[in-house]
Amino acid sequence: MIGAAPAPAVAAQVPGWAVPVIEIRRASRVYDMGGLTVPALLEADLRVEQGEFIAIIGPSGSGKSTLMNLIGCLDRPTSGEVLLVGRSVADLDDDGLAAMRSRFIGFIFQSYNLLPRTTALENVAAPLLYQGVGRRERLERARATLEAVGLGDRTGHQPTELSGGQQQRVAIARALVTNPPLILADEPTGNLDSHSGAEVMALLRSLHASGRTIVLITHDAAVASSAPRQVHIFDGRLVA
Amino acid sequence: MSLIELVRLALARLAVSRLRAALTMLGIIIGVASVIALVAVGQGATSGITQQLESLGTNLLTINPGATTTGLVRGAGGSATTLTLDDAAAVASLPGVSAIAPQTQTQAVVVSPTANTTTSIVGTNADYAMVHNFQIWQGTFLTPLEVESGLRVAVLGATTADDLGLDATAIGSTVTIGGLPYTVVGILQAKGGTGFVSQDDQVLVPLGTVTKYFTGSDTLRSVAVSVASADAMTSTTDAITGALRTRHSLAATDTSDFTITTQAQLLSTVGNVTSILTALLAGIASISLVVGGIGIMNIMLVSVRERTREIGIRKAIGAKRRDILLQFLIEALTLSMLGGVFGIVVGLVVSGVIDKIAGWPLVINPTTVVLAVGFSGIVGIVFGVWPARQAAVLDPIVALRYE
Repeated sequence: MIGAAPAPAVAAQVPGWAVPVIEIRRASRVYDMGGLTVPALLEADLRVEQGEFIAIIGPSGSGKSTLMNLIGCLDRPTSGEVLLVGRSVADLDDDGLAAMRSRFIGFIFQSYNLLPRTTALENVAAPLLYQGVGRRERLERARATLEAVGLGDRTGHQPTELSGGQQQRVAIARALVTNPPLILADEPTGNLDSHSGAEVMALLRSLHASGRTIVLITHDAAVASSAPRQVHIFDGRLVA
Repeated sequence: MSLIELVRLALARLAVSRLRAALTMLGIIIGVASVIALVAVGQGATSGITQQLESLGTNLLTINPGATTTGLVRGAGGSATTLTLDDAAAVASLPGVSAIAPQTQTQAVVVSPTANTTTSIVGTNADYAMVHNFQIWQGTFLTPLEVESGLRVAVLGATTADDLGLDATAIGSTVTIGGLPYTVVGILQAKGGTGFVSQDDQVLVPLGTVTKYFTGSDTLRSVAVSVASADAMTSTTDAITGALRTRHSLAATDTSDFTITTQAQLLSTVGNVTSILTALLAGIASISLVVGGIGIMNIMLVSVRERTREIGIRKAIGAKRRDILLQFLIEALTLSMLGGVFGIVVGLVVSGVIDKIAGWPLVINPTTVVLAVGFSGIVGIVFGVWPARQAAVLDPIVALRYE
């Protein structure tokens, strides 16, 4: 699979299986710290097919976040290639990356990252705003997605009026509402008690069961054990 | 993202921090309100003064002693001794002059049986009423005989009569002016129009009584000249100038020791002065608009800093630079435009109140209103762009980590 020809652009529009959701080839990310170069990720290779549920496990400082930023189109590799649904992100500008995030990725963060003083419904609807979806449809889809994660009765609540587990479920609904090819979850249970954490993991497993592609990034092997496939990262190197 | 979505976002945000939004808007409100109020007051003053000047009399020339410097500002008061009663008589005999009213003036306390007031005592002749376009309300005006004899008779202005508690029945009664009794022979009809000098607050007495009992000299404060027709204004002005220069033995190179002012000159001078003042006031008020804009910029910068994480979240879920830029720009613009609208309301109320107190007509200039709102919009954009750019270029990775 390494060195495979880039998939033709057409293939990406066909739902699915012809193109891997993530394809990383010899990707490195080096930070320049005042003349001192610090490699955070070294020649990583990774391929995630559609419908996979994969956990990336590593201690803090291992390059986990760097890898997540690359997969999440928040950053570009210093060298090598990162392809998302067949599209290279290396040469995209900031707005190009934003467009990739908007179309292909649903983020779930450790600290939920809901918009403050904004209702659950508006929070879930927010990604659709940047896809140019009209207000009525936005709210309809957001409501449906909130119901799907079991929060149909919390649509008018603000983040501060919700428990941690509920907030994270709102965040999951927000990640799902655009129906993205990839769900990227960064320590989704890190701020939760074990009960809420188990609920969130159960939700992720059920999403996987319904065919979603999920990348879970965690330092916690127990959490990672939910995922059928596990990849370790250590000192900036991926170990399958 | 459509404009409606952006305005909705901005309004939702401003609703969250109402006090802050209100205080930020206050700068713009004050700026716009003061521009509108000051311009309206300036224009009200102009039209008030103009009305008053027009009521002073038509085809009127005024001869004043002393040289003018610029505009309405006259030279030193000490020079005001060059115009005499003989000069006035010479002017009266010139062709084109239909009547003259020599005037000398002093301030004195006037006492009636029930009240007293301090007002202008104008010594003049029987033609004063005609020259200055005054109508008599009760009694008669000064007669030539009374003036010639220097009788102690007085004609009261409407306001003065009112101040003294005198009505129509006061004709023939006695008031004390500067300690001496005068017989009230007439009361003038009010001209209306108040302002910096009221023509209705004065007492007219024969010229001779003022020179005899008050000023002690026969020099005049001014001579009002009624010209036979409007066409003759220029030629009459020239004739008066020539006659007075000859009488004052001025050489061709000397400047005149008197000035002749026409109504038209006065009107245009007043117009110039007030429009300069209005522009000046509006200029000063615009400074407060700029200050208000800086207030908006300040609060938007703080807002960008506080909402760094929100910006990071929005970028992570797909917001482009432009989306963030517009969100913050529209927020600043909403602040400034709302401030502008409230400012118009406040400005109109304030100018209405001031014009009412001053007795000027309320003049609202739509151009000013449009300009003020337009300017506040520009202020919003100019001072909103920089903070909005700061927000737009934030790196989402850094912004998401920001606490």
